[in-house]
Amino acid sequence: MELVLGTHDIYPKEARIRKKVRETLCQLFERWGYEEVEPPTIESYQILAKTIGEEIRERMYQFVNREGQLVCLRPEFTTSVARMFSKEGEQSTHRVYYAGKIFRYPSSPFRLESELTQIGVEHIGKSTLESDGEVVALAVASLRAVPVQGFQVDIGHVGIFRYLLSQLPLGEEEKNQVKNLVKKKDFVALQEFWQRKALQEHPVATFFLRFPFLRGKEEILSEARGLFPDPEWEHLIDYLQAIFTRLRDFGFTEHLFLNLGLTRDLDYYTGVIWEGFSPHLGYPLLAGGRYDGLFRLFGKDFPACGFALFLERVVEVMPRGELSKEALLSRVHLHHPPRWRAKAFEIAERLREEGFSVTMEEYEGEQFTLATSRKTLSFTPQEAENIESMLKELQP
Amino acid sequence: MNKLTIAIPTGRLKEEALNLLLRMPHCPPLAFNSRKLCIDEETSPWKVLLTHPKDVSTYVEYGVADLGIVGKDIILERGNEIYELLDLRIGKCTMVLAAPEGTQEAALWERGKVRIATKYPHFTRRYLQEKGVTGDVVFLYGSIELAPNIGLSDAIVDLVSTGKTLRENHLQVVEEIVPISGRLVVNRISIKTKGEVIRKFVEEIKGVIAE
Repeated sequence: MELVLGTHDIYPKEARIRKKVRETLCQLFERWGYEEVEPPTIESYQILAKTIGEEIRERMYQFVNREGQLVCLRPEFTTSVARMFSKEGEQSTHRVYYAGKIFRYPSSPFRLESELTQIGVEHIGKSTLESDGEVVALAVASLRAVPVQGFQVDIGHVGIFRYLLSQLPLGEEEKNQVKNLVKKKDFVALQEFWQRKALQEHPVATFFLRFPFLRGKEEILSEARGLFPDPEWEHLIDYLQAIFTRLRDFGFTEHLFLNLGLTRDLDYYTGVIWEGFSPHLGYPLLAGGRYDGLFRLFGKDFPACGFALFLERVVEVMPRGELSKEALLSRVHLHHPPRWRAKAFEIAERLREEGFSVTMEEYEGEQFTLATSRKTLSFTPQEAENIESMLKELQP
Repeated sequence: MNKLTIAIPTGRLKEEALNLLLRMPHCPPLAFNSRKLCIDEETSPWKVLLTHPKDVSTYVEYGVADLGIVGKDIILERGNEIYELLDLRIGKCTMVLAAPEGTQEAALWERGKVRIATKYPHFTRRYLQEKGVTGDVVFLYGSIELAPNIGLSDAIVDLVSTGKTLRENHLQVVEEIVPISGRLVVNRISIKTKGEVIRKFVEEIKGVIAE
């Protein structure tokens, strides 16, 4: 009876809402021209270890299979999808999506979940403003479709962090320390670090300390533009402006914010990055970005970008999964005397064809009864000949 | 929607934390004198929760509190995914490795397998790992200083402010591991959705600290 640590059972009430969210998203992705792919649950460790950052690598479920090969349960989908499409000789455009479980040992002794569901898209083969705009727009559209009340999406660019880091008069090792502190969001330690290095007046250092609050609409870009007179910096600001403009043309900026302090896995992403969340949950609902370097690990130079939603987190901000009125009405329970089994089954099949969900039960009686949440109909075998009129009576 | 929920700890930091908040310009009356654990006046810009010190960063990580005041020792132990924004310079002390008087640090590690008693098992395990030594960690809830004297452990990892308790138990500091103080921490979604209110809060509390 014992559950493995970090796993849990999903009963119908929760399964229902999970299914609805999943179907809504998959349908949305299909309508945007994305096609489903299903990479295997088990991957070669060699493949995943190439791309997965140290933090996740330590959390992978790994074991030796019967062939003596070191394998692991996928801790995410992107690497597997990249492996699938790196088999191609030529660079071409692919729009794909996936939905399934991922497996990671908990990130700390105080967290338990180790089996999670990701639903996401990958846009492979293009590295353009247009493709970035498309995938960010699809992220916004996803949360809108679910729908998540009051959701917001922040976009940023890993180039911002990289540019700033390169402007600091520090060695590689010290820059790594800065990177780790920003990643841990420990701005107290960062400030102490600047003091130790006598950098507290350095414009880049003070800008880093403002990272938590560099968020807003377009005004945040005009404010940042003049800070560092350098074409590289201006190019980054222009790029974010261009993305924002594209999304405005789509009518998608209501929920969209620019966040210059947004940081995600800095070794993985190469361009624009984004994060979607609800004001009612302390964790992001979706995350993504451009990772043009990933395919290089498989010997190809294909650019790509994508994002993934965390289904469990999305479900957490949804209203509890009560059955909709229509779903309740379409549930029918059919009682019948044992000797009229054949006729009863015929009725049940006919109702199922019409989209009802039908359960059957034999009872000691002389009539058929059809019970829905709204009414109960009784009828004789003669009356049962007229299935069409029965159907009419069941319709809401 | 722009009301801030602030978690403050009971215990060691409570008085100093309340004192900081009370000196801020928009602080509502905060009378936690009874058994009250939550103050939420309709007209107040804050809702203030009084929680176990070890839970503050968890409240903040899960987002049931936007902000929290918490000791660095708890942040190090729990490893919560939160923003650490400000050193509030309250509750200052040091996380130390301490052992019976006369113990040399080298001798401690020479034993091959040292046993350390602590209230901070995860932190201590990481500390040993980074030092590259093997050791057992004995998790205790309190009276840590007792452990070496009765043979439960070779050393302890604990907070020290004046060192009086150590001396009374014939212990001495072997290594000062990390300075500890109260920190202002923020939930990583709140900092986005309530960014402007939180930025103002930080500016105001900075002003109070600088006084």
